[in-house]
Amino acid sequence: MNFFGLALGIATLFIIGLGFVWVIRGEHYFGLLWWPYIMGLGLLLIVTSLFLHNNWSSALLGVTGASLIWGSTEFKEQAVRAELGWYPFNPKKFQPPFADIIKNWKAPHL
Amino acid sequence: MSINPIGLTAALAAFLGIWLGHISVRIIERNAKKLWSPILIALVLGLALEIWSLLTDHWLLNTATGILGITILWDALEFVRQEKRVKKGHVPANPFNPRHAQILAEHSSATTLDLLNRDPVGRQVNSDEAVQLIAQQENS
Repeated sequence: MNFFGLALGIATLFIIGLGFVWVIRGEHYFGLLWWPYIMGLGLLLIVTSLFLHNNWSSALLGVTGASLIWGSTEFKEQAVRAELGWYPFNPKKFQPPFADIIKNWKAPHL
Repeated sequence: MSINPIGLTAALAAFLGIWLGHISVRIIERNAKKLWSPILIALVLGLALEIWSLLTDHWLLNTATGILGITILWDALEFVRQEKRVKKGHVPANPFNPRHAQILAEHSSATTLDLLNRDPVGRQVNSDEAVQLIAQQENS
């Protein structure tokens, strides 16, 4: 029996679970416009995972990267949820570099 | 330098698991007349994938089935959570589904409107404005 996949699946569940938390907090303090940076970081982690020889490190880094990319696509809906009062709304967000350019991009949502 | 594909495999399995799960739960919960059958199917499918993962010797298949199985097991729970969101009005109810029609009759917070289906405006909005904003965006 090979328990690697099952254990990795459970670890993935926790990483996705953390996603619920950081998307809510991240949108609250930093705002929607950080999405390209989060997506970029996710891609970077997945590319980095290709060069790690330890299977656990590579797999966990890959899953974390995927979770970051998914989370970046959740920022738009989370911003609307806060505007609706389903989550506390924060009018003073810490804006990212190049916020004026990112404003013109359509935030992804899947 | 050799490439280790296990991280990419895990990333694809996790992303597809979340994405497909997200979409499937939304569509199935919206249309299913009773929730126990999709919940049971998700449980059986998730467990089958985990058993496959335990028994296979192929390391990449072991990785992908292990992750997909757990995300599908989670989806079984998400059916219940999604129905709670319908009751709160956080996702739109389907008036043509008798289970949702009953929710609409019993929960004043439930709605057929998808209040999230718009771009953010950067300020808090009240319930009237929230409805206007989705109507505006549908017309534009």
